[in-house]
Amino acid sequence: MRDHPTGEELLIIARTVLREELMPLLPDERRYDALMVANAMAIAARQIAFGDAPERRERQSLAGLLGEPVDGDGAMAGSAAVGDLTRRLSAEIRGGAFDPSTPRHGAAHSFLLDVTVQKLRESAPKTLEAAGMA
Amino acid sequence: MELDRAARERLQGFIARAAGAEGCAITELRRLRGGAIQENWCLDADIAGGAFAGRLEAVVRTDAPSKIDESLNRAEEFALLKTALAAGVTVPEPLWLCRDPSVLGKEFFVMRRVAGAAAGHRMVKDERLRDSGEALVERLAEELARIHTITPPADGLGFLAMPEPSPALHSVNRLRHHLDRLATPHPVLEWGLRWLERNAPTRGELVLRHGDFRTGNYMVDENRLTGILDWEFAGWSDLHDDIGWFCAKCWRFGADDREAGGIGVRETFYRAYERASERSVDPGTVSYWEVMAHLRWAVIALQQAQRHVSGDEPALEMALTGHVVPGLELEILQLTGKGT
Repeated sequence: MRDHPTGEELLIIARTVLREELMPLLPDERRYDALMVANAMAIAARQIAFGDAPERRERQSLAGLLGEPVDGDGAMAGSAAVGDLTRRLSAEIRGGAFDPSTPRHGAAHSFLLDVTVQKLRESAPKTLEAAGMA
Repeated sequence: MELDRAARERLQGFIARAAGAEGCAITELRRLRGGAIQENWCLDADIAGGAFAGRLEAVVRTDAPSKIDESLNRAEEFALLKTALAAGVTVPEPLWLCRDPSVLGKEFFVMRRVAGAAAGHRMVKDERLRDSGEALVERLAEELARIHTITPPADGLGFLAMPEPSPALHSVNRLRHHLDRLATPHPVLEWGLRWLERNAPTRGELVLRHGDFRTGNYMVDENRLTGILDWEFAGWSDLHDDIGWFCAKCWRFGADDREAGGIGVRETFYRAYERASERSVDPGTVSYWEVMAHLRWAVIALQQAQRHVSGDEPALEMALTGHVVPGLELEILQLTGKGT
């Protein structure tokens, strides 16, 4: 077991020092770089906070959508990794297997929306707030 | 890229020869921010003799170490600037093209520097512009109409391929081609592309599309438009392609209620464009191209992120560009909802 402060906690305090103590010392033309660093640290901290749970859920939903067997905690019964399944989903969407006239059209849209919302929670939570989806 | 003393001297020599001058003395040369795909250098020089004698205020535009597949090279962009200038479009005057790699290590051209600023996120927050936004929107629509007076075949633009079988389907095919070359699959973008394929408009009249006509790519000085920049994505397409790109939500820099580029009213832009071009704008077709705009920007953002991830060109700015993609994907899913 790791001791505190964890990686996530270190990122958060480091980001606070950057924003509150270092940024005011920077010339104007370097402020944008500092904001980018702060943004990168925030994304990393949020990804650590969410951990593996979103990907497990994604894998489970994806297997369901594609008719693959899964066991209880979302681990694949077979050997297909989430990347392989996503590749298959992508190819099937391109081929028209999820067009509006198909039975799984709505389920595919819902799945894609869920995955996208989770990515936004990590990459850009303000976008979700602006869309009223936070 | 930094320019050492020898490169600086070679650049002075090139300008002197190209300008038919007795000499050229560079007084200022610094890299400008922005330009993820090329490098732009701000250049001041004193030119002795010849038609350009006097002070030269210019921008030197070179290729970057790695480029986005779809982007034109500097020689092609130079040809476009000349064609656009001849058609009456407000652009920085293209001066000299250097195809000799021994000068700066890559091709570049020199254009006159225009006054003002282009930064999109600052422009949409500019109070002065907020008051005169409608006039600027009209002016931009007139500029776009002028760009669209250039139609194929055009002298000097033979390097631009014809979009087959139609501009829309050509774009879908190109974007799929780029997605296939990325390391990871992108099902939301596939969803959007399938929608674009199923809803593609029929082929209409072809015009010169600027290809990156949006807030952030034109210069404004004291509320006055001074130049349309960044022609490297130009090609033949439907007139609604540029209009959709200009109005797409992803290019409003957060000023979402001002649908014309984050600076004004969409209908003002349409009306001014129709008046200037004597062509009609179909709002439904613009909406279609707005979906395309989100797809295209997402693919470019992924390519930029790939340049970082691959180790070709590690840079924080490009790494973070990959993280704008989920926001674009959300918009795509909302625009191409269930049943459409």
